[in-house]
Amino acid sequence: MTAATSNAPSREEQVKALQKREARRRRLPLLPALIFTILITQIPFVMSLYYSFTDWTVTPPSPRTWTGISNYTDAFTNSFFREAAVTSIVMTVSSVLLSVILGTGVALLLDRKFFGQGFVRTLIITPFLVMPVVAGLVWKNQMFSAAFGVINWLLEAVGLEAVEFASKYPRWSIVAVLVWQWTPFMMLIILAGLQGQPASVLEAAKVDGATPRATFFQITLPHLRPYLELGVLLGSIYLIQVFDHIVVMTGGGPGSTNVPYFVNQRSIGGGWRFGSASAFSILVVIATIFIATFGLRVLSGLLEGEEP
Amino acid sequence: MAEVKFDAASRIYPGTEEPAVNKLNLDIGDGELLVLVGPSGSGKSTALRMLAGLEFVNDGSIFINDKDVTLAPPQDRDIAMVFQNYALYPQMTVASNMAFALKQQGVSKEDRMARVKEAAKILDLEPFLDRKPKNLSGGQRQRVAMGRAIVREPQVFLMDEPLSNLDAKLRVQTRTELADLQARLGVTTVYVTHDQVEAMTMGHRVAVLNFGVLQQVDAPRTLYSAPANKFVAGFIGSPAMNLLAASDVGGRAGIGGVQVPLSDAVAAAAGAHPARELTVGVRPEHLQLGSEGIPGEAIVVEELGSESFVHVRIDHLGESTTIVVRDEGETDVRRGDNVSVGFNGPVHLFGPDDQRISG
Ligand SMILES: Nc1ncnc2c1ncn2[C@@H]1O[C@H](COP(=O)(O)OP(=O)(O)OP(=O)(O)O)[C@@H](O)[C@H]1O
Ligand SMILES: [Mg+2]
Repeated sequence: MTAATSNAPSREEQVKALQKREARRRRLPLLPALIFTILITQIPFVMSLYYSFTDWTVTPPSPRTWTGISNYTDAFTNSFFREAAVTSIVMTVSSVLLSVILGTGVALLLDRKFFGQGFVRTLIITPFLVMPVVAGLVWKNQMFSAAFGVINWLLEAVGLEAVEFASKYPRWSIVAVLVWQWTPFMMLIILAGLQGQPASVLEAAKVDGATPRATFFQITLPHLRPYLELGVLLGSIYLIQVFDHIVVMTGGGPGSTNVPYFVNQRSIGGGWRFGSASAFSILVVIATIFIATFGLRVLSGLLEGEEP
Repeated sequence: MAEVKFDAASRIYPGTEEPAVNKLNLDIGDGELLVLVGPSGSGKSTALRMLAGLEFVNDGSIFINDKDVTLAPPQDRDIAMVFQNYALYPQMTVASNMAFALKQQGVSKEDRMARVKEAAKILDLEPFLDRKPKNLSGGQRQRVAMGRAIVREPQVFLMDEPLSNLDAKLRVQTRTELADLQARLGVTTVYVTHDQVEAMTMGHRVAVLNFGVLQQVDAPRTLYSAPANKFVAGFIGSPAMNLLAASDVGGRAGIGGVQVPLSDAVAAAAGAHPARELTVGVRPEHLQLGSEGIPGEAIVVEELGSESFVHVRIDHLGESTTIVVRDEGETDVRRGDNVSVGFNGPVHLFGPDDQRISG
């Protein structure tokens, strides 16, 4: 070996350099969009992260002082926050689970040929297209209201007493509306999954002697796994942030104040304590990330269970 | 072990007029490998799916072992099917795929595993039992599909073009293995293919379908030597048989100006029709190039090494027509050569109704 050849880049290094250049060339055009996205999404986040370590109250105006993690430790001793956290968890989990189960059921019904299939599908999707505020108002006044609500009209028709649902069962009234709105979304995702399942696999199962039930649990459900995961993931991320429904339906009535609503109360909703409100919202972000990773892993584990 | 019987079974798809399978009559013997062959859209898959119970039978009946299964659901028929795209269960391992049917029958886990292992051994699938189908090659997937069928030890195997997704070389190899496996297991098998070479090499008997109508069912050899009608004559054999409207040469059927050689019996039977209404069929391998016969000009020479096929333009019924003649390998014939085509084997004659005229 001469000095010259040992100094020359090896083939491996050359290939690496080429790959790097290739990667750079691919990413470069994305740069402006990337910078813009970082500016508008990450800077507010970093700012709230910073506020969450400070004691910042707007009224009365006071200097922002660094307080370390005390806002976070407060969160765990603050019984109002704990309650809000429980509400968030209960509302998110129950509405996601219910809408996934219902959505799967509706998708299974819609995944067969019948007259007017497209029309029915469009009808079923509409709740998802309704603005959250409107959905909340419609349900509060047209469905749940003791005076004009359809449900109470039905209850009275069969001789039962009218119930002011939104104030008597605030948490579950909101869950009901969330399920109503999110079932179509889950249905759409699951339906896409069902229609991506090759017909011949189902025929093979038939020939192999599987009952419809066995086919669903052993073949269709595992096939739907990624779709269910996607539905649960997106559903959780959105539903943990629910706010509008609470504002218009219960105004945070007993058991319906979730973390976002609580954060709102603490900050611009009258509390004006941005420091601790920021800390609470950061906790929601952490919870969301936690759900996104751990929750999914648990779900996958449940569906993975397969024995030959 | 089972016998299968189609009794005038028909299938008319909803929204269509013509039956996809039209009054099919077939008797398949115990342990037999029957091949259903025909061009695309001839109703082969439909016939197979009728037997599987995946397609309703609109008319007629189907029997497995003298038991009428016409209206029985697939799971009550004790059949195993290999699909064209294999239809493996994508989320299950190879072992689970193969054990699936046994699991549905409530076979215990130990027995399931034992039977899966046994089948895996036969098919050389042992190293792959824990893999998912997507991590297998096409040939391996095909074997898993086979394995899924054989672990069940069913009455009947149904296979719908199981080799069509393999490359040409693997197809030839798998074809042999499959025929061997079927013979060893001795399970009655219905095998669908559109490839007539596959049909001829694998089938104990071959059923030829066209437009949903059964044309002929016979041993491959008979199909070759005595095709029942013009369609079978043209479909079986590669390159295809030369089929020409006969010319009238002295009151007898001919090609160009040359009478075709016929046995006395056939000639007598053909005498019932004017020569011009007959069709002459002769395979390339039953023609030869020589010094006398039908005069023509070689226009294409296909050299295959062991043999060659010469396309000869001849004058027939006042028009120029091409016929294919088999010649030995490394032939001296070149494009543009003037040649004479003589007869060197049997000539088939078909009547005005396209049916074979036999003596
Ligand atoms: N679901 C269906 N609805 C209506 N017609 C159908 C249906 N399936 C098949 N057909 C028609 O029935 C006829 C037979 O189809 P089949 O699939 O049995 O053909 P095949 O012989 O298997 O052809 P290939 O070699 O292409 O697979 C075709 O004309 C086809 O168009
Ligand atoms: Mg087919």
